[in-house]
Amino acid sequence: MSRAATSAGAGPLPGGAAPAPPRRRPVSAATAAVAVLVVAAHVLAWRGTEFSPVALLQGWRGMADFLEQALPPDLSAGVLLTGARAALVTLAIGLLGTTLSVPSALVLALLAARTTTPNRWAYQAARSVLSFLRAVPDVVFALVFVTAVGLGPFAGVLALIFHNTGVMGKLWAEAMEEIDLGPRDALRVSGASGTQVAAHAVLPSVVPQFVGLLLYRFDVNVRSSLVLGLVGAGGIGFLVNQSIKLFRFGEMVTHLMLVMVLVVAVDQLSAHVRRRIGA
Amino acid sequence: MAAQGAGAPALAVRGLRKSYSGRTVLDSLDLDVAAGEFVAVLGANGCGKSTALRCVVGLETPDGGTVLVHGREVGPAGDAGSAELRRRTAMVFQQIHLVRRRSALDNVCAGALGRLPLRHSLTPALFPRELREEAMACLDRVGMADRAAEPAGRLSGGQQQRVAIARALCQRAEIILADEPVSALDPAAADQVVSLLAELARDQGLAIAAVLHQPALAARHADRVVGLVAGRAVVDAPASRLTAADVDALYVPDLRLTHLEAS
Repeated sequence: MSRAATSAGAGPLPGGAAPAPPRRRPVSAATAAVAVLVVAAHVLAWRGTEFSPVALLQGWRGMADFLEQALPPDLSAGVLLTGARAALVTLAIGLLGTTLSVPSALVLALLAARTTTPNRWAYQAARSVLSFLRAVPDVVFALVFVTAVGLGPFAGVLALIFHNTGVMGKLWAEAMEEIDLGPRDALRVSGASGTQVAAHAVLPSVVPQFVGLLLYRFDVNVRSSLVLGLVGAGGIGFLVNQSIKLFRFGEMVTHLMLVMVLVVAVDQLSAHVRRRIGA
Repeated sequence: MAAQGAGAPALAVRGLRKSYSGRTVLDSLDLDVAAGEFVAVLGANGCGKSTALRCVVGLETPDGGTVLVHGREVGPAGDAGSAELRRRTAMVFQQIHLVRRRSALDNVCAGALGRLPLRHSLTPALFPRELREEAMACLDRVGMADRAAEPAGRLSGGQQQRVAIARALCQRAEIILADEPVSALDPAAADQVVSLLAELARDQGLAIAAVLHQPALAARHADRVVGLVAGRAVVDAPASRLTAADVDALYVPDLRLTHLEAS
């Protein structure tokens, strides 16, 4: 052992000369106060939502009855066929709602990104519009549009266009604010206008992020269009709602299984494309 | 070009001042670059070289001083009256700043955006054919014509910097300012890029000022060397007469501090 120490010469450096290591800082009062607040918030939330594992255990019989009626699922050809057709309508609502919100989202994102906005007023105005569109849930938009164009998938598409413009515009604006500003400066020096800089420096740099976010929103929108169906905006959500109202729980389970297939397929597709483009 | 301001240097900087929160970066800097001349700007980190170039092209707003292009004063950035005058100056950056996903050719064409109407420039597909041909000529001038179709991000650092210089040529700039154009390049690529700048000054009559960190490159290629210490030009000599002592004086570690204490 002594041989190893002397021959390798890799023992600890003599510590006398170097300054002592700094002391670890104790937990500050602010950190402790934040911890107490977080715990208190959870206690209040527990009470506010009447959270009770006991109630769940006592009510297990209700669930069992429900499942007994729901299983096995109704796999008759008629149910499957109407379900599949409605699932395609749901997919179509998500697709159109996403695609048709691209132009409005792009314009608002360009105005609402600090890297491309023409001035402070446009920036604030665009931010406000995006915030409003994001703050109103798509279900509320759907209810409003149902009163205008009646029950059916068209109201769902309109609802998605409005809500998705708010969300995607915000995400795109943020993507544009995160880019390296070098190419923008280079083109500014050459005398390019704001629109030209956006078209030739900012947008080409964010194409992969934009496509990635678009696919992510398509994925989310297909799932929200299910919920839109519950409030009467067509698609398979509408069928799920109907079968619950008619106590046809077996039919409902079949529809839910179709929903699962649809959601997984869309998710896989968008993940695959996002991997390919490296976003 | 020769008609107006005959006799005036292509670029003249007079009394340029800039400070950041009390710290003086440029202290009444004067700098002339004549057409056909390649000036190397040397100086330690933080002596104000990059800030000076960024002030000249309008990426920074100087606190005082004037910039004259062919004897005509350039107004503040965003001043519509000076837009045409500003377009005569191009800048080349250390980080190159090409759009990596676009082809080398599209990047070079982008240098011409300042003189294109929006209907010919909203996307690269709308660039007129004459512009594409001019951009190819610019790429050919820097020896990159054979890589025109490749995305800029796939080229090596030296190749990218040459494409960036082609972009400056496509801007039809008469003055090129290069901010540490070769600091991120290996020695061979660095020599290639600097000698290209020297050639452009000699053959095309461009006024070129390049911030360099390698005095040897400056001595080999530049016509004149300007040395900055604490935001002032303290050395201004033909490259052939630059002495080792001149260079050493620019890089004395605490020169700035001793200067300040003495004054």
